[in-house]
Amino acid sequence: MTIREKGYSHWDGELSEKKFPWWPITRFGIKLTFKKKFFKIFFFSSLIPALVYLAGVYISERLEDFHFMIRKPEQFIQINPGYFKSYFTGDFLLFMMVMIIVFCGAGLISDDIKHNSLQLYFSRPLKKSQYLLGKASVIFFFLFLVTLVPGLIIFIMKLIFSGSFKFFISYPWLPLSIIGYSLLLTGFFSIYALFLSSLSKNSRYVAILIFSIYFFSNILYEIFSEVFKNQHFALLSLKANLQQLGAAFFNQNLPYKTSWYFSFLIIFSFSMLAVIYLKKKVKGVVIIK
Amino acid sequence: MSIEIKDIHFNYGKIKALSGIDINLEEDAVGLLGPNGAGKSTLLRILLGFLTPNKGEGKVLGYDIKLQQMRVRRYVGYMPEDDCFIPGMDAVSFTSYLGELSGMPRQEAMKRAHEVLFYVGLEEGRYRQLETYSVGMKQRLKLAQALVHDPKLLFLDEPTSSLDPQGRKEILELIKDISSKKDIQVLISSHLLSDIEFICSYVLILNKGQLAAQGEISKLKEIKYSLYEIKIKGDAQGFFQKLKRIGCEIENKEDKLLKVYMPPGKSPQEIFRIALEEKIQIRHFIKSQTSLEDFFAKVVGVD
Repeated sequence: MTIREKGYSHWDGELSEKKFPWWPITRFGIKLTFKKKFFKIFFFSSLIPALVYLAGVYISERLEDFHFMIRKPEQFIQINPGYFKSYFTGDFLLFMMVMIIVFCGAGLISDDIKHNSLQLYFSRPLKKSQYLLGKASVIFFFLFLVTLVPGLIIFIMKLIFSGSFKFFISYPWLPLSIIGYSLLLTGFFSIYALFLSSLSKNSRYVAILIFSIYFFSNILYEIFSEVFKNQHFALLSLKANLQQLGAAFFNQNLPYKTSWYFSFLIIFSFSMLAVIYLKKKVKGVVIIK
Repeated sequence: MSIEIKDIHFNYGKIKALSGIDINLEEDAVGLLGPNGAGKSTLLRILLGFLTPNKGEGKVLGYDIKLQQMRVRRYVGYMPEDDCFIPGMDAVSFTSYLGELSGMPRQEAMKRAHEVLFYVGLEEGRYRQLETYSVGMKQRLKLAQALVHDPKLLFLDEPTSSLDPQGRKEILELIKDISSKKDIQVLISSHLLSDIEFICSYVLILNKGQLAAQGEISKLKEIKYSLYEIKIKGDAQGFFQKLKRIGCEIENKEDKLLKVYMPPGKSPQEIFRIALEEKIQIRHFIKSQTSLEDFFAKVVGVD
């Protein structure tokens, strides 16, 4: 292999400070995730609830057309904040979100640790927070596509199909709830995935951790609540805490007999501790003492 | 070279890694030389802002290493010692990706990635996945990513490690070309003296976290001492003691060969006189050429 067939020439451009220096990290992360086997299947499957709920909105506005199929149409589909709450806190959607972060989040930091590439990132004018934001945005992208985007589309479709703003006037806070709860779900799952991804060099272990912590915390809750007949153990479950907060966001009855404040405190504390750990763990040089 | 540091101290816990380093460099190619654990990589990492010194201050290209790390990193290229890459990429996307992170526009970074990959000799393998790259190709790739944003200053940490002789020669030629013809200043850290001698005109020698010597290689190699290679027969203890008493340093080499560093003003006849006194036979006596290796051995101490 001969070298220097083409000589080195200086670049005549100007290196600039970019507004979003983390964007290349996000773009590459999204591209890489789409290349993963089976990811597309999981991702598009996670849009099934959105399609079903969208169909529900359509049917609710066209009940006369479906009258022959339904015995008590007035009880059939009620489009209200509870409808949105059941979309966002449904077991299937939460499960699919966990599967999405298994695919797109497990290797985000662990692969960089494994291949010593953190020093490549930090030898560039990139701050730690920008690196983490770039990585987190990969998860944001996919999770927003199954939470925020369908949530807002369902809301807008309800207005379009009903042909009036009556629904919006009745629940003017609902768009904010959709945005707020989508941000909470996405933010929490992003931090959860990045934190676990920074714990190991092996992305397979991380994937197992992401999956098992989420499900075992729920199993633990079910065992304890059965044994002690006490629903306060719901605080042990990540899923239950997220569902509890979902109900609070959409102003619905809480599914568990604990205050949503405690759920918020648990999710918030976990996220804060994870961020502190990430800031300590992610650095250009690993010092072996 | 626009590196200026004053009284830099750095500790890894209780271990002193650097102690009182003062450097002021303007040369095109500077070698950072020292045995393993001397503090070379630590110094590079401090200059890049990866590590914050416990004490001292410094500037790289006029930017403060404690307060303006982002600016330093924008204009400096860094080739790490470790094997490092980003999985799932080919060489073009890897190099352009890091160019973009340095602040280049996307299209420009892509164009430039092709250019530097051609330059380092990776034109044929530039669309291969990095996981399939050989050690030599990864070294070239690390050099390409360090060059992609056209830095003013290049930090190379052990650039020839794990390379076969041919690969090593090619990488050294590239670095020499960069430092001598391309108007890019190079700070190269290595424990291989021949690499430093091939590329650099100026050298810093670190030992146990301290600056043991610095200067132009040609001047350091000037005979401030005389070097003799000798072989002896007889009880060497007294012989060594008397040589040390007159200021000589002795290094044991293979095949019972001794290297004797004589201080200025001393005549080689002293060696014969002491040998006579100690009833030692001198069976081999050559005045040796001084190399950077000899100087290095003398400066870092001889076991």
